[in-house]
Amino acid sequence: MEKTVRILNDEGFHARPAGVFVKKASEFTSTIEVKAGEVTKNGKSIMALMSLGLAKDAEITIKAQGPDEAAAVDALVDLVNKKFQA
Amino acid sequence: MSFLDRFLSGSKSKAEATGALSAPLKGRVVPLEQVPDAAFSGKILGDGIAIEPSEGLLVSPVNGEVVQIFRTNHAVGLLSDDGVEVLLHIGIDTVKMNGEGFRAHVKAGDKVKAGDKLVEFDLDLVRAKAKSTITPIVVTNMDAIASVETLRSGEVAHGQDLLRVTPKKA
Repeated sequence: MEKTVRILNDEGFHARPAGVFVKKASEFTSTIEVKAGEVTKNGKSIMALMSLGLAKDAEITIKAQGPDEAAAVDALVDLVNKKFQA
Repeated sequence: MSFLDRFLSGSKSKAEATGALSAPLKGRVVPLEQVPDAAFSGKILGDGIAIEPSEGLLVSPVNGEVVQIFRTNHAVGLLSDDGVEVLLHIGIDTVKMNGEGFRAHVKAGDKVKAGDKLVEFDLDLVRAKAKSTITPIVVTNMDAIASVETLRSGEVAHGQDLLRVTPKKA
């Protein structure tokens, strides 16, 4: 299960967004990955996500694999679309 | 080798001996709960400490590798040789300064030793333009960490032991 979204908040995928994203991702048992360009990172690691260095308007693909993958992808896509306002 | 380098390398070996993170800044130790940003004070990014700097020099608190330096040079992510991920974030709301006043001495992938220069910054400019100069130092991979203990309060100098981070036993 995967979906692609665009980062809308001005600061990009920086510290606070990464923290909020990982907190949400960790609520799910599925493995979660975030792909940007050719690079794929663990969606449950703050440092890994920050290392993508994504700015506003970057596109990411959120992939989940596991029993709650659909709910996980939907929740995380929603979070990105809401500019990481949890 | 300057006096400062010698001083820092001396502290580095001490930090290694105790397994502690050393102070990446000179300044005043501030509890994380008092950082004026909910992402840090609420520990969403992890546990740790903050320093209100009195000098614009950020050095590495660990031996390890630079995972990430944000494009505006105001935040550095490190992975220590002990497996501790550390985020150093100079000031609060400094992302809006868009790199002005920050000069990086390292890039992603660089190996660093405790005490190595990471970023020099214009402290007066941060004071003038950002919400706060208070700099959080947080451990971001808390799922792998058993405890984070603060070793110091009040004034701290570069290289002095600051935090003891104990990884979970494998």
